[in-house]
Amino acid sequence: MWFETAKLAWRAISRNMLRSFLTVLGVVIGVAAVIAMVTIGNGTTAKVRDELSRLGTNTLFVRPGQWGPGRASTEAKRFTDGDIAAIRDQVGGLRAVAPVNRGTATVIAGGANRSTSVIGTTADYLIAQDWELALGRDFSVTEDRGSQAACIIGETTRRELFGAADPVGQSIRVSNVACPVVGVLAVKGQSGMGDDQDDTVIMPLKLHQRRIGGTTTISSIVLSAQDGVSTAKVQADVESLLRERRRIAIGRDDDFTVNDMSQIAAAMTGTTMLLTGLLGAVAAVSLLVGGIGIMNIMLVSVTERTREIGIRLAIGALENQVLTQFLVEAVMLSIFGGVTGIVTGLALAYGVVGFLEVPFVASPTIIMLAFLFSAAIGMIFGYFPARRAAQLNPIDALRHE
Amino acid sequence: MTAPLIAFRQVSKVYGRGEATIRALDKIDLTIAQGEFVSIMGPSGSGKSTAMNIIGGLDLPSSGDYIFQGIPTSGFSRAQLTLLRRHMLGFVFQGFNLLARTSAVENVELPLVYRGMDHAERRRRAMAALEQVGLRGREGHTTQELSGGQQQRVAIARAIVTDPAVLLADEPTGNLDTKTSVEIMDLITSLNRENGITVIMVTHEEDIAAYARRLLRFVDGHLVSDEIQAREAAHVV
Repeated sequence: MWFETAKLAWRAISRNMLRSFLTVLGVVIGVAAVIAMVTIGNGTTAKVRDELSRLGTNTLFVRPGQWGPGRASTEAKRFTDGDIAAIRDQVGGLRAVAPVNRGTATVIAGGANRSTSVIGTTADYLIAQDWELALGRDFSVTEDRGSQAACIIGETTRRELFGAADPVGQSIRVSNVACPVVGVLAVKGQSGMGDDQDDTVIMPLKLHQRRIGGTTTISSIVLSAQDGVSTAKVQADVESLLRERRRIAIGRDDDFTVNDMSQIAAAMTGTTMLLTGLLGAVAAVSLLVGGIGIMNIMLVSVTERTREIGIRLAIGALENQVLTQFLVEAVMLSIFGGVTGIVTGLALAYGVVGFLEVPFVASPTIIMLAFLFSAAIGMIFGYFPARRAAQLNPIDALRHE
Repeated sequence: MTAPLIAFRQVSKVYGRGEATIRALDKIDLTIAQGEFVSIMGPSGSGKSTAMNIIGGLDLPSSGDYIFQGIPTSGFSRAQLTLLRRHMLGFVFQGFNLLARTSAVENVELPLVYRGMDHAERRRRAMAALEQVGLRGREGHTTQELSGGQQQRVAIARAIVTDPAVLLADEPTGNLDTKTSVEIMDLITSLNRENGITVIMVTHEEDIAAYARRLLRFVDGHLVSDEIQAREAAHVV
């Protein structure tokens, strides 16, 4: 009986292939949009997560002020050399502690110049960030103390300023500070936020404070825990030390924030996932519109086939049998649309993902959901027309022209 | 004594309310026995179609009893009426009412599909019914590929494939030319005589009505005459 019903439904659908296709176009577009959005979104999330994980999971960032959902303040007091020394001396299990001041400056070498990000830090920075040198060396102790100028440049900066030449030993001017290049960083690529991490110049903190920032304080700290040491433990130790040093009364909130990489990763992937969800929801609305399209055509179909329904009822089809027939037809139509939409959506996502250079992450869950959702749409929007067909009066239906 | 196949006890059918009330059937008493061939005649609005619909389980009387094989059908649900049609009645209509773009044999199989019969058995019975109406070899033709007379034969095959107790024919020759009408009436007559199927036929043509042994005339919702016709009359067309 089920096979018969499916066969009948298929015959009704295939009788007018063009109309059937146009009927389900709404569902096709809806499903394709959902699948494409979610697949591209998942790829982006995966890429962000992957890049953040490359920054090292045992890295901690300390910033003044409270940072988190709904609050971002930079009002709070910045850090001092004493804070760095205290962390280094009193917190166990650390591999490296590096102060970080950031700024932007024009860098000139020979005839070339470029505006780039300039980081003031110490030799520990490269250790904390797991950043290798492609050429040259890290800062020496005297350089770290700020008594002697030195710069380490990123690959992008090197290429823009020196082209093919070896920059080590050459001099650059960073905002009027003459600075010999002592090293070149290995390529790191784009950050999770999408900016080029290789477009940078690193100089000793003291030099940066004096000549670029015009300050004696420190705006953030990067810490790296030793392997096998819990970052949660390190985070707690740093927090209690800084509360003490900054004289925060018990019961008051911290005026600084310590994040580990996984927390930052969670926040960022949370954002992309939220965006994915929103886009998916917008696309889902078009699925609903598609369902209304199916209902519309099913109603037309019931009217067109009133006489046929009358014949079936007269020769012994029960109401339920007619209802089932039309319902199966609607569900078959919408599943047909759903499957077409899934294939189209995946193909679309595949193309866009290649263009965006993010991985292709097809989610079986969302494919399954899209399939079930489209079947449900056929069921829901097909029910009303099917019931109308089943409840026709056979006498009137037979008389229908 | 066995109950008659079909009995009307004071059957009335009223449409509308108040001033607009139309009394389509007014307290009709009628019995039809197994194996009869009955014609129903009357001008339009006489109630003949209403009577036919009630006999066919497509409509229920407003009052009175329609008794089928001794079982009163008053209070039957839609589903019960459907089952009565499915198992006891076969329908032939003026407009043939075959499914379009569907082969003859599939049209004939249709009532068996709703009975849940398996494919092979269905096919076998449908082929037998088609053979009985003289359409052997045409089973694969779709409705559009058949002439009017052939279409009506398919419809008759569809009506008898379930071995019904009653064949209900509503103006079966209304859309056919004279020659084809004769063929169809000969087929219906032979089904009645040789297969013992009770035939009840509505028509407005005297010469078609003459094929039946018994003739009922309706006027304004009343049964005005009920007569047995001479057998010979059926052959003077």
